[in-house]
Amino acid sequence: MNCPFGSIKDQVDAVDEVMKKLDDPNITVVATIAPAVRVALGEEFGMEPGSLVTEKMYGALKKAGFKIMDVNFAADNTIMEEGMELVEKIKHYVLGVPTTHHLGALPQFTSCCSAWVRYIELNHPDLLDHLSTAKSPQGMAGPVVKTYGATEVWHTEPEKIYVVGVYPCTAKKLEASRPEFHSAAKYWKEHGHSADYPDTDVVLTTRDLARLLKKKGIDLQTVEPATEKDNPLAEYTGAGTIFGATGGVMEAALRTAYFVVTGEEMADLSYKPVRGLEFVKYADVLMKVKGTDKEITLKVAVVHGTKNVEALLPDIKAGTSPYHFIEVMNCPAGCVNGGGQPINPMGTSWLGKTKAIFPWS
Amino acid sequence: MATYNYIEKAIQVTRREFVALTGVAAAILWSGAYAITDVVEDRNKYIKLRTAGLYKDDEKSALRQSHKNKSLMDMYAKLANKPLSPVAEKLFHTQYVDRTKLG
Repeated sequence: MNCPFGSIKDQVDAVDEVMKKLDDPNITVVATIAPAVRVALGEEFGMEPGSLVTEKMYGALKKAGFKIMDVNFAADNTIMEEGMELVEKIKHYVLGVPTTHHLGALPQFTSCCSAWVRYIELNHPDLLDHLSTAKSPQGMAGPVVKTYGATEVWHTEPEKIYVVGVYPCTAKKLEASRPEFHSAAKYWKEHGHSADYPDTDVVLTTRDLARLLKKKGIDLQTVEPATEKDNPLAEYTGAGTIFGATGGVMEAALRTAYFVVTGEEMADLSYKPVRGLEFVKYADVLMKVKGTDKEITLKVAVVHGTKNVEALLPDIKAGTSPYHFIEVMNCPAGCVNGGGQPINPMGTSWLGKTKAIFPWS
Repeated sequence: MATYNYIEKAIQVTRREFVALTGVAAAILWSGAYAITDVVEDRNKYIKLRTAGLYKDDEKSALRQSHKNKSLMDMYAKLANKPLSPVAEKLFHTQYVDRTKLG
């Protein structure tokens, strides 16, 4: 994100609230950290853009008093839900297998980007049936922490857990406040609890987290790194981590969907046609259906920058769209360039640019 | 009758000086244009660097497919059974709302 004059700022600031919670010994404060944060947080501490600081970030968060859940785990979880939903739809609509599960329509849109979800709710409500019912990774991370995390990992009451989402995104702040995202509380109400609370309590952007760490006097450059090897909620695969780049959700979904449909691994897991900064990317994936001699061609499209999706919508509304799965990310280049990321002086900010050329100005 | 004053321009530039000045002007314009293309080129460099960082994280991962995440499978076994199960629907799925008429 870059305003030429550097004047646009986000208004919801939870840093002080999180600091207060960290000081409270009765509360387990869990930070859930999104994929794109680990390649940008370093910039706030004087590192090169793109420096991968996962372990230093874990170390800094631990030092600040957070417990850690990696949203990459929730991204893997999203692939299982969203990918299986896609596979079920393909089986039903393309291969004619009967289903008892309620299924939406094809093509299926990804629902990971909260800005995109809000856009479609506001502007194209007739297409909501195409949106995957799977929540975004943030929507999954909260309930996982407050159910599985509470009982199996941190052994505490779900009411005593305070989930702080760390995202490269300002739209996640709004998403966390959605009244329907109280699934963990609803789950526990069926198991004898009575309190009501949101799945993710507050959201910090990458910039907010950097400010919090600086207030705590923690420098990412010098902090002791931590690996979190024994924390099940910090385990993640390569498929989860690429969610932060455009085409990443598609690539991750294809890796798993290909395996489920064909019963074999993809020959090359790096699926290049969905990578790159082309605003709309298309790809055809040939799959041989396991146990039959049928072949299907999965047609996918990847869009970043929401305005670019408009060109695909008339076909979908007319029911003639050839695609099965469409990824949409609101920010150009995906979450790595999200609205909550460090504002980089290499960007289009004119004032920032002069700073980059004349550091003393 | 009008009188004309045919005095030559005060600034005299010889042929050699003209060539030299042209050269200097061209050099200034050239380096300016070069600086501008550099700025445009660099504009999205940080995006590419961050993206490359994520793909590097992917490449160095021992496991690169979501269904191979052992802790995740463990969680499904203990909590939600399998994707799209009733518990998974409750915790991991949602419904969307038509928000064209707000308020």
